[in-house]
Amino acid sequence: MSEYVIKTTNLTKQFGEQTGVDCVNIHVPKGKIYGLLGRNGAGKTTTMRMLLNLATSTSGEILLFGENYQKNPKETYRRIGSMIETPGFYENLTGSENLQIFARLRGQHKKDSVQNALEIVGLDKETKKTFSNYSLGMKQRLGIAAAIMHEPELLILDEPINGLDPVGIQEVRKYLEMLCIEKGVTILISSHILNEIEQLADIIGVMHKGRLIEEVAMQDLHQRNRQYVEFVVSDENKACLLLEQKFGLTDYSVHENGSIRLYTNLEMRSKLNQCFVEKGISVSKINISEEKLEDYFSNLIGGGEIG
Amino acid sequence: MVNLLYCEFLKLKRSKMFFISILGAMVAPVMVFAGLIKAKITEPDKIITYSDMLEQTNLYVLLLFGVIVYGVIAAYLFSREYTENTLKSVLTIPISKEAFLTAKFLMLFVWMMILTAVAWVSTFLLSIVGNAAQFSVAVIMQSIKEYFLGAFLLYFTMSPFVFITLWLKNLVTPIIATATVVLGNVALANEDLGVLFPWTSSYLIASGDIEKYKYSTEIAIIIIFVVFFIGIFTSFVYFKKQDIK
Repeated sequence: MSEYVIKTTNLTKQFGEQTGVDCVNIHVPKGKIYGLLGRNGAGKTTTMRMLLNLATSTSGEILLFGENYQKNPKETYRRIGSMIETPGFYENLTGSENLQIFARLRGQHKKDSVQNALEIVGLDKETKKTFSNYSLGMKQRLGIAAAIMHEPELLILDEPINGLDPVGIQEVRKYLEMLCIEKGVTILISSHILNEIEQLADIIGVMHKGRLIEEVAMQDLHQRNRQYVEFVVSDENKACLLLEQKFGLTDYSVHENGSIRLYTNLEMRSKLNQCFVEKGISVSKINISEEKLEDYFSNLIGGGEIG
Repeated sequence: MVNLLYCEFLKLKRSKMFFISILGAMVAPVMVFAGLIKAKITEPDKIITYSDMLEQTNLYVLLLFGVIVYGVIAAYLFSREYTENTLKSVLTIPISKEAFLTAKFLMLFVWMMILTAVAWVSTFLLSIVGNAAQFSVAVIMQSIKEYFLGAFLLYFTMSPFVFITLWLKNLVTPIIATATVVLGNVALANEDLGVLFPWTSSYLIASGDIEKYKYSTEIAIIIIFVVFFIGIFTSFVYFKKQDIK
């Protein structure tokens, strides 16, 4: 099987004269969380719809689990859980009844899968309330429950945290992380909230005006862009030893000309400087990098904010 | 397919539309019963038979109120998936679009038959209440045949309303379309051209009145099935090609 659970080649979607998605090449590795970022109208949802076979592509290729998605759609899509924008459910039914319908339609499911899914999203107590009486946050939770209840290998979630309160956002984030780490579930998640993706994703893809303009591992991006304090010291080896042994700081990188970039505990810089000097290391420069991830993306998509 | 059909029934739990449709199916029997009561008051000597009651109700159902009720049900079954945004949840299970549409058409058939049964039972019970005359097993059997044959044929004329719903994704347009068809029924019910109008000919075939007109039953049946296949074909092709939002 291919190393990528999702791989698209020149995926394109045109709406008449307009190009909604333009030659997008996405690579989602197995067991990773891929964050798709972009402003409203960037083409994220259209891309996800095409991946889910809800919209046909004008051109290009989609490989899911290493196979063309149309080769064996029934088996392929059984392995996928999804939620596209605001989840849709039958208004006159309770959350449990809605999930029962989807479970029955899916055929293969454990007896307690509905109850488990509801417990995970915290809706197991809402036994009487029909979907029409759900709040936006509850609707979103039910959408997540529907996406995960058959224990999929791949989750495609479009703006799943929309409408959730901060506690709910944190819960969903933790659950998705758990799914990815403990169960090896691959997740493609879109959002316009940079902070959320930053905390969750292993890889990010940035879409702008229908094109994927960046696809990069979060780790690389952090190294490249995140805020850091830079020390230029006379003896970088000795300084690194101090950072690790005395302060327990390991998230740093060493560069040319005695430059050390420290990515965490930036507020300790004066204390570190004092320590370096006391240990006979001369510090010729201390500099705080001002560029944040947000600034990086704003620059990338030509100003303004994500979303 | 059994699962899909079963789920269509589950979707109707607590649905107001189901009860409204039951009430809708009882409108014609109640109207005919009201006519019977009126006749009893104004013309005490007039004999109103079971046959009169059952035939009149079937006429009102197949030519007037039933067309609207069945058209609304057809529109509701399909449009709710758009208005409640459920298509993206159902089709990604995955359920093929063809199986999904087929289940909907089957559900429409079952629902129409249930409403036909409701209309017949209501009429029969109201005939008993109204002390209708000349009860016989032959009349009952004949009326059951006419009710279900009429509903069966009318079912095949519903597919264009399904296409209109899929195309415009709302309830209002199919209702306007069914109202237009009802006007056509009123205009053509006693005309030769009624045989060529599938929504009228369903009743004419079921009631046997078609023999009075110059066009044959075969022509009427062919037209009904041509309309059905056009509706089915356009619905499937359109739905298959359409992107789900």
